[in-house]
Amino acid sequence: MADPMLKLAGVHKRFGELEVLRGIDLEIAKGEVVCILGPSGSGKSTLLRCINLLEPPEEGQILLEGRDICRGPKSGTGEESWELNYVRQRVGLVFQQFNLFPHRTALQNVTMAPEKVLDRAKAEAQAKGTELLTRVGLADKLNEYPERLSGGQQQRVAIARALAMEPHVMLFDEVTSALDPELVKEVLDTIRELAREGMTMVVVTHELGFARDVADCVVFMDEGQIVEQGTPSQVLDDPREERTKKFLGLVLER
Amino acid sequence: MNEIIEQYFDFSQMSKHFDEVLDGFVITLELALVATVLALIWGLVLALLRQLPGKGFLPLRFLTIGYIDIFRGVPLLILILLISGSLAFLPLPEAITIPQWLGKPDNFWYGIMALVLVYGAYYAEVYRAGIEAVPSGQMEAARSLGMSHGQAMRNVVVPQAVRKVIAPMLNEFTALLKDTTLVSVIALNEVALVGRDIQSKTFNSSALTLGAILFLVIVLPLARLVDRLIARERARTSRGGAPPVMHH
Repeated sequence: MADPMLKLAGVHKRFGELEVLRGIDLEIAKGEVVCILGPSGSGKSTLLRCINLLEPPEEGQILLEGRDICRGPKSGTGEESWELNYVRQRVGLVFQQFNLFPHRTALQNVTMAPEKVLDRAKAEAQAKGTELLTRVGLADKLNEYPERLSGGQQQRVAIARALAMEPHVMLFDEVTSALDPELVKEVLDTIRELAREGMTMVVVTHELGFARDVADCVVFMDEGQIVEQGTPSQVLDDPREERTKKFLGLVLER
Repeated sequence: MNEIIEQYFDFSQMSKHFDEVLDGFVITLELALVATVLALIWGLVLALLRQLPGKGFLPLRFLTIGYIDIFRGVPLLILILLISGSLAFLPLPEAITIPQWLGKPDNFWYGIMALVLVYGAYYAEVYRAGIEAVPSGQMEAARSLGMSHGQAMRNVVVPQAVRKVIAPMLNEFTALLKDTTLVSVIALNEVALVGRDIQSKTFNSSALTLGAILFLVIVLPLARLVDRLIARERARTSRGGAPPVMHH
């Protein structure tokens, strides 16, 4: 069998005294969509940030396409030991707060990294960027600055920007939590479309309906550990663990 | 009352010495502009050194912070005297110890050196405030797209930081412009020394007053410009950016 796209084994992350991740084991196959649910502070976002090494874990293994990204060739201390380039050119991350570059247009946001990091020619990067922005429904917003776009539009630009680096895995960190309710759907539809195209994705979300529709696997996290995982119907309709039941009850009450 | 007007605002004195004072003020402006350009570059270098990530750069960060603290603390006048009095005796190439670049005399360049050493430290702090006012998500987004720390700084953080600090930078320019008068102590014929020479010959201060008025002609419009830039930045941040940074 081929290597899983991502494999996490015994991942621990501490911030000083606080242990945010307490031994995470998880396997994600190519083309799989995993939704991570859990109360705030359960370590969901930190897990994503570990996977793309924004917050390198202290302990454990993360295999990305079979390669341990926590112990690179320059293993030792400091940033150099992490396989940053290997990881960041394979893993795309979309943030809750969009984090678009406000001094650049939508198209420039999308073309910057391909030009600077992948050394793509400007015309090539622009053609690709235009195609991606068209795909997320923003063909008419290429030259707008972020402050002139709605939250939903900004988040779709951010998705296009991550896709421009041709990632093998996309990570979504509560990407609809900062949006007005009427803008959530356009962003979720964009992610849904990516799932249909076979992109491997890890989606941290509070949108249970979306998880039910799109996820191949739903993971429930609490206090830095995976409490329960399984198909959406197993975890969402028939949870085994008390903590899962309680959390789902609270979310559905909203 | 008449004595005050006669001593400080004697228009016949002012018009008689106008050309001399203006020549001095041109040297003042040259000092200020050359020093500002170099200090802006030096300050950015210092600010970027200070922001280098990781343990490996700890000694360099430490040195940079030490430099900034020391040169913000040393009086400019003393630094001018230290450089002009002893640089010529140091075992360095004469192009540095007795500089005559661009047809300017050595005391002009001694003044520039002192101003750049001190104002580079001030500017570094202004840049730092600007860099720190850029939300951390910007660096994270750039890094998650595969940019190195340097690429992220150059393409994402610094362009936004510079926009945030234009107003405080102009304030620094005003301070530097006025501080150039200290270079008069090493016999550079800038506006203060020219005015002082006339004062000691005529027993009248009107030429110096004229020099002060020339400063105001530059400084007052700048002050209004700074106000407008701050108001504009405030309008922008009320739509959700970081606040503008102010400095001493």
